[in-house]
Amino acid sequence: MVAHPGGARAARSARRLNAPRPALVEPHGDGVPRRVNRQDVALLREEWRIVDRWWTDEPVDRRYFDLVLETGENVVVYRDAGSGAWFTQRA
Amino acid sequence: MIAVVVIPAFDLRAALRLHPALEAAPAALAPLPGTEALLGSVTAAAAAKGVRPGMRLGEALATCPQLVLVEQDPASVEQAWEEVLRRLEDAGFAVEPGEPGTVFFDTRGVERLYGGLDPALKRALNAVGPAWDARAGAAERRFAALAAANVARPGQALVVSDDRTQRFLAPLPLSLLPLERERYEELEELGVRTIGQLAGLPGAAVAERLGPEGRRAWSLARGEQDGRVAPRRAAERLHETLEFPEAVAQELTLRRGLGVLVDRLLARPERTGRPPRKLALWARLAGGASWRRTVTLREPTADAARLRTALGPKLAELPAPVLKLRLELAELAEGTGEQLELVRGEGEVVQGRLREGLRQVRAAVGAGGVSTVVEVAPWSRIPEARALLVPRDD
Repeated sequence: MVAHPGGARAARSARRLNAPRPALVEPHGDGVPRRVNRQDVALLREEWRIVDRWWTDEPVDRRYFDLVLETGENVVVYRDAGSGAWFTQRA
Repeated sequence: MIAVVVIPAFDLRAALRLHPALEAAPAALAPLPGTEALLGSVTAAAAAKGVRPGMRLGEALATCPQLVLVEQDPASVEQAWEEVLRRLEDAGFAVEPGEPGTVFFDTRGVERLYGGLDPALKRALNAVGPAWDARAGAAERRFAALAAANVARPGQALVVSDDRTQRFLAPLPLSLLPLERERYEELEELGVRTIGQLAGLPGAAVAERLGPEGRRAWSLARGEQDGRVAPRRAAERLHETLEFPEAVAQELTLRRGLGVLVDRLLARPERTGRPPRKLALWARLAGGASWRRTVTLREPTADAARLRTALGPKLAELPAPVLKLRLELAELAEGTGEQLELVRGEGEVVQGRLREGLRQVRAAVGAGGVSTVVEVAPWSRIPEARALLVPRDD
C-alpha cells in the first residue's frame, strides 16, 4: 500500500508579524512604567490608548507607552486592560 | 455482477461530522442561499417528527419548531467522500463514484480475492466503516443493484439474481427511478405507484407521455441493460494549505496567500514534472462553513504566473472572510515535455540567483526559515494585525 502523499503534510501556519512579547514592567502609582525588563525608565516620550474590536469576543484595550530607558534604548510597552499583563511591541 | 454501496443522506452526515451532537437531534440541511427554501437531507430524529427532505422551510419549522438547520458544507462532503472512495480502493475495489453517497464497482475481480460475492460485499461495507450506516446491493444490472442497496438495512448486503430482477423491482416505489418530481406526481395521478406498474405500460405510450426521460425510466423498470461500471483512475491528490491567525477578507491578501500556495504546490516532488490540468481552491470560512471552486485549465501548465491568473478571480467569489485556504492539484497532465525558450526572459537570471540564495538559507536554518511578509491590514491600529509572515519552502 502506498500512503497518500497529500495527507503527510500538515498545514503550515502563517504567523503574525510584530506579535507582542511579554515584558517585566514595574509601574508608578499612576500606571506609567518606572522600570522595564529591569532597566530604569529615563523618559516617557509618548502615551496613547487603543480600544478596538469591542464588538468581538476578543476586544482590545491597551495603554501604550513610548519610553527611553537609561541605557538609551527606545522601547514601546503596553498594558493590556483585560489581563493586566505588560508587553513590548514595535508600534 | 455490479455492486453498489449506498450511504443515505451523505451530505448531511458529512456536514454533521463537525457537530456530532446534532446527529441524534432533529436537524436538516439548510437550503443554499439564493435557492428555493426547500430542506435537504434530514436526521432520523427529524424524520420521526414529520420533517421530510424537500419540505418547505416554513412548513418544516411549523411541524418541528426545535428543528436545527445545518449549513451545507460542500467541501466537507467532497473530502469525506474522497476518504470513503480511497478506503474502498485500498481494499481492492475499482470504484466508479456516482453522487456523494453512491459508489459502483464490478465484483468479478474481488469475488476471487475475498472468496465469493457475499464476503466481498461485507468487505466493502467494512472498508466504508460502521459510522456511515452504509448498505450494499448487487445485481446484473446497475439499476437493480442500486434499488437493492436502497432497500437494504444499514450494514446489510442484498443480492438480486438476474432471474429475480423483475420480481424484485415490481413492488418498489417509483421514487427509486431517476425522474423529476413532476414526473412522479404525473404518474401517481395516473395511478402508477410502483416500478412494476410502470414496467407493465406500453413503452411507446410512456415515451409519448413522459418524453425520453420517462422512456429511460421505463427501460430501467423492466430491468433492461443499463451500462457497465467504468472505474475511475485513482487520483493522486496533492494539496497545500495556509492557515491565517485570524479571518482574512481582503482580496489582495488572499491573492498573495494564493501565490504562496501555487509556488509551494509546484515545488512538490510528487508532481514529477507533470503540469496541473485541474486545480481546486478550498476555503474554511469564518463561521464554520466551507467554500470550494475548481478550475480546469485550457492548457496544462506549471507556470506559476498563469496559474495565479487562472485562480485569482475565484477569490472574488468568496462569500465570507477566510480562516484557511487550500490549493489542491485535482488532476495532472501526463506529458512533461514543453517547448524550451531560446532566449531567457528578462529578470530570470536574478530570480534564479535569489532562489538559490533562499535555498542556502533554508539549508542552514531548516524548513520554515524563509518567510514572505504579507500585508493584511496595514491601516490597522493594532500593530500585530497589520502583516503576516507566511513560510515558503519553494
